[in-house]
Amino acid sequence: MPREVHIVGLGLSCALGRGLAACVQALREGRRNTVPVELGGFSEPVRMPYYALPGEGGDLFNTGRFLRLIPEAAAEALDQSGLAGGRRRGMAVFVGSTAFGVSRAEGEYLDVLASRPGAAFALPRVGFQEISERLRQAFGLEGADYAFNTACTASANALLAAGRMISLGRAEHALVLGLELANRTTIAGFSGLQLLSQELKPFDAARDGIVLGEGLGAVVLSAQDGGLGLRLGCGISNSDTFSVTTANPDGSSIAALQRMLLSRSGLAPGDIRAVKAHGTASPMNDSGEAAGLRQVFDPMPSLLALKPYLGHTLGACGAIDLALLGGCLRQGFMPATLGFSQDDPLLGLRPLTVETPARTGPYLLNYFGFGGNNTALLLEKTA
Amino acid sequence: MNALLASSHYLHAVGNAPLPDLDAAIREACREPYRRVDRFIQLALLGAARCVGGRTLDRDCSLYLGSGVGPEGNNILVQEQICRDHLLPRPFNFVNTLGSAATYFVSKDRALEGQGWWTSRRGASLEACLELALNDLELGLCKQALVGIVEECPAPYEDHRQRVGAGPEQALAEGSHWLLLQAGFSDSAGSLELESLEPTQSLAELRALWQPGDSLAFGQSVEAGLRAQLQDGLGVRAFGEDLPFHDSLAAARATAWLQQKQKGRLHVVGGGPLGGIRVSVSAAT
Repeated sequence: MPREVHIVGLGLSCALGRGLAACVQALREGRRNTVPVELGGFSEPVRMPYYALPGEGGDLFNTGRFLRLIPEAAAEALDQSGLAGGRRRGMAVFVGSTAFGVSRAEGEYLDVLASRPGAAFALPRVGFQEISERLRQAFGLEGADYAFNTACTASANALLAAGRMISLGRAEHALVLGLELANRTTIAGFSGLQLLSQELKPFDAARDGIVLGEGLGAVVLSAQDGGLGLRLGCGISNSDTFSVTTANPDGSSIAALQRMLLSRSGLAPGDIRAVKAHGTASPMNDSGEAAGLRQVFDPMPSLLALKPYLGHTLGACGAIDLALLGGCLRQGFMPATLGFSQDDPLLGLRPLTVETPARTGPYLLNYFGFGGNNTALLLEKTA
Repeated sequence: MNALLASSHYLHAVGNAPLPDLDAAIREACREPYRRVDRFIQLALLGAARCVGGRTLDRDCSLYLGSGVGPEGNNILVQEQICRDHLLPRPFNFVNTLGSAATYFVSKDRALEGQGWWTSRRGASLEACLELALNDLELGLCKQALVGIVEECPAPYEDHRQRVGAGPEQALAEGSHWLLLQAGFSDSAGSLELESLEPTQSLAELRALWQPGDSLAFGQSVEAGLRAQLQDGLGVRAFGEDLPFHDSLAAARATAWLQQKQKGRLHVVGGGPLGGIRVSVSAAT
């Protein structure tokens, strides 16, 4: 009999603030903290707004940020969990990111290019294990580690895997970290894809693309209830081979994902309190997500989109969105979607535009990524 | 216990000659030609196709692709373009920096709609992938699991040697190693199990399980002292110690052993951070 999976610790550092309480407060105040970012040296200027961590000074590309920031959200979540000693030591670690340690590798490559160009070689280090190694060092963790690199579903899949490990009794506790920090590869790469906008407006008729962001979201899962009133419910992932960069715009794979999740969890569409959309604000992605949701939900539950507060934090958004929504639900509300002003008749749905009381029950969180990776999970508010 | 329906093994020691051109082999093994795929994706496509062969997989078969180093060649290219040449990367180069680009092409080629995960654990990616896959089979999330390990070895090899921490004397390789699993035991197929192995109890535990004719192999994260203790204690030489190095030697040794169609059982002592995973594989008889 699978065990229940409790959320016993949450930590968040993102453009809204450092620490979950500060982030929830900033969200309630409707803050949208972006800074201008520019990459020099390209034939065409690479400039964009970017949701950066506050209080970091001007240099987002500082090589030392990566190792310095890794423990931040995890420390908050671990402290809240109260897990210590042997219970902390044996924890498994699940990390999700798209860029992992690319920012550090780029910085080191550039340093050598500038000082000893003949000795420089690109990708001087491969970083999949660097995050878990830093977490081990900072917190004395000795459990197994797993790094997920499934694009924007990476830390959502890390949450699924960790939850299953606990559910089956193969782990008692697990630390899940989603991390994405500013780096040249992501910024230049998305610039080349021409998916970027000046303002993130999910599901709005005037939406025209994403704004990137950075952040760290940490979730401590446990077989024992820690009293936070939050559980990680069922989670499902599927593959959509329509395109490597977008889900099928007819919504079929997204609808299939929602149906699988409901079926697996024994819920009817009407049981879902709200859907936290992936909501990237790119015209095609929002269109596909809306089509998929409409095929399953009638009437639509409340719809939330968090990216206008956070930016698109890519592989970290699984854990970041869950931490932020969890923080809001614990305070008894569902957040308004910032920046939405104009219905798109082709979508046939609109997100919440005012803060709304949150009831106990299941909340569905959607995540979709490059590589045709779709993931949905349930966050259950139990108190 | 889960049935092991099929496996494939590709391991190529790099040297002075260029890496083998995989285009023809991919055309032969895959369902359609794919453009804009890099070496990592090619290795994944080829390994998966050779493992699955003519079988039609369940559409909800889950895919677990693992690698210690990931799509290294493409990441090098993109980092050079951006940092050294100040060029925006081409869209497909940028997208292919992600491990999930390879899961996309394998899912497309094998017509899979199930979960497609890309996972890494340095020196033990096979073990990490198998842990996840066997959980999902046990939970009934899928009935079939396609598990693949891909390791690239782009030139210049001395740079690669530094990235992966290989010693100067170690021969380097690229590889693609795949296992097709199905929930439940089948008499007509091999089988695969995962169990925890306490490092301090490994010899006693293996002795209790050991049968005449069994073979032993190691992942590279197993310490030299434990290797010697297990080989001496069991009176066997480990299989595949002469294989060239990449970051997932447990995968290379398991699939190399299966390719030789040895009967009996292979205990692959691999490792997580505690050195504690045992993979037992029985070849079909």
